[in-house]
Amino acid sequence: MQSFQLLMDGFAAALTPVNLMYALIGVTLGTLVGVLPGIGPAMTVALLLPITFTVPPTSAFIMFAGIYYGGMYGGSTTSILLNTPGESSSMITALEGNKMARRGRAAQALATAAIGSFVAGTIATALLVVAAPAVVSFAISFSPADYFALAILAFTAVSSVLSRSIVRGLASLGIGLVIGLIGIDQQTGQARLTLGVPQLLDGVDVVIVAVGLFALGEALYVASRLRHSTPEVVPVGRAWMGKADWRRSWLPWLRGTALGFPFGALPGGGAEIPTFLSYAAEQRLARGVAREEYGKGAIEGVAGPEAANNASAAGTLVPLLTLGLPTSATAAIMLAAFQQYGLQPGPQLFDHNPALVWGMIASLFIGNTMLLVLNLPLAPLWARVLRVPRPYLYAGIVLFAALGVYALNGTVVDLIVLFVLGMLGFAMRRFGLPVAPAVIGLILGPMAEIQLRRALAIGAGDATVLVSSPMAVILLLLAAGALLTPVFRKLLARRTPEAPAPASREETNQH
Amino acid sequence: MSTPQDVAKRRWWRPELGLALVVLGLGVFVVLGTLDVSAAASQLGLGPRFFPMLVGGSMIVIGLFYVADVLRGGRGDPEESEDVDVDAPADWRSVGLVSGIFLAFTALLNPLGWVLAASLLFFGLSLALGAEHKVRAAVVGVIVGLVTYLLFVKGLGVTLPGGLLQGVL
Repeated sequence: MQSFQLLMDGFAAALTPVNLMYALIGVTLGTLVGVLPGIGPAMTVALLLPITFTVPPTSAFIMFAGIYYGGMYGGSTTSILLNTPGESSSMITALEGNKMARRGRAAQALATAAIGSFVAGTIATALLVVAAPAVVSFAISFSPADYFALAILAFTAVSSVLSRSIVRGLASLGIGLVIGLIGIDQQTGQARLTLGVPQLLDGVDVVIVAVGLFALGEALYVASRLRHSTPEVVPVGRAWMGKADWRRSWLPWLRGTALGFPFGALPGGGAEIPTFLSYAAEQRLARGVAREEYGKGAIEGVAGPEAANNASAAGTLVPLLTLGLPTSATAAIMLAAFQQYGLQPGPQLFDHNPALVWGMIASLFIGNTMLLVLNLPLAPLWARVLRVPRPYLYAGIVLFAALGVYALNGTVVDLIVLFVLGMLGFAMRRFGLPVAPAVIGLILGPMAEIQLRRALAIGAGDATVLVSSPMAVILLLLAAGALLTPVFRKLLARRTPEAPAPASREETNQH
Repeated sequence: MSTPQDVAKRRWWRPELGLALVVLGLGVFVVLGTLDVSAAASQLGLGPRFFPMLVGGSMIVIGLFYVADVLRGGRGDPEESEDVDVDAPADWRSVGLVSGIFLAFTALLNPLGWVLAASLLFFGLSLALGAEHKVRAAVVGVIVGLVTYLLFVKGLGVTLPGGLLQGVL
């Protein structure tokens, strides 16, 4: 029960007026960017990274965690009220949610999403409290070779899950790794890939990469294919639901949580797969009214996936805090924030900075409660945010992107780099390269290099040290398995009489 | 996804090939670009070149697979997003305008200062993206430029160029 005591200390840290204010700012901002198209939690946290110079770490992470959770709540509002696929994590919610809204049940759809997110977020955070110390006690014995294998697994899993075509996922990852190489080598002080430009000696700032790929890339992409019809937002009042809706929602919430948390914790698990699985499970389990309504707006199809995506957000924090392993773009940026404070998430973080870790975890419970209050009565307000004229929205996003990047070093050179990365982000979107692997490669790449060199130094140059522990072997085998998924898919497709799977081909380069 | 691409289906060149070649080129760049990084500093043969070689080599392999995939007719799914009509043909005029306005902003930021340059950026971008009321866009632009300046410079102590209005604000 040591972790319970630590959690109570965490609450004491999180419940100070200043930290409550940061939590409130975080969840409000998170909901706002979650609702707004074209801007998400990853980019928001990236733009706020510079505050790490002035704000104490506990407060900053309380705010960042609030943004992460808030983004999940806000995304569901957009999916339900606007009939367009939005962020990938709430895409599934749109299937039933928007149909409910069209049938005049928007208030109930929003209510089951918000309450479900609260239930799932709270249970999943409790699971995080239990799981984190267990993973820490397990990870304390990890060698550099194990960490390197873990990074390789994260790389391959993220690349193969987020894209239908694994080549494109890996290409995105590689772009991130290459950008991560630029600058001075940490161990020997040698400049790499700087092309003689002195500004590049410190490397390309994470903020510029994230803001370029996400904000500017999105703005250019939207410019190329702007929907010229005005978005049709379903009008809604205060979110509420009746007795029958509660009866139909609570089981899907629990099942969604059970699916979301473990998938979020896996490298490459993310929110997409569990939300989809939850949707499919609810469809199969639907009886009576639910069965008739499925496909036409059944509340189960909103309750389950929404719970799953919030639970997966909490799950993501397990590998992030205990192993320093980011499994989503937002988690990767939060890892960058830890690094700005000179902190390295992992078993040591729990030992050396218990106040920070447990304060952040406690704030998740608080933030979740705030989000419930923010989302149920204020639903009409968020619906109005959705009607922001798009030209102003994207002009504003680009303006804030420029502001955030310029403020870093006060130089126009950074703005040019931002533009180049924006063009890259545009091309990646247009040709279906997922952006998240690039961000994860950028941030995890340098750490993978350090662990690799450490491992090989321990082995005195003998490469077999990389496969000397059973843990590393298992992780590398899983990584190879992730790379070979297209082959399995192809074999399955061959067994069925249908046409073979298009596009993707296997890829066997890493070891 | 659009009609011009369908017409050009038979031709070997497609825009996506450009991106695939960039990926391949990045791999070559990493390998060649780190040739001059000497490994003398390391005693165990694991100098600062080892990991770049690994990344560069992998990128070349990935790039080759990607090029082959595009040549064989594979294509990525354009990302779906709230405000994007995936089936619409690419509007290159808008992309060019947005790029031009952004680059003009970077050139004008220091001489004009944040308030004026940011107002112009907002005004230009909103028109390029289809705002109908010019006056309203201009008013909103000036307000956004002023408010961000006051908030970030006076409130949060961020340094932004004052430019022409230096001393006035």
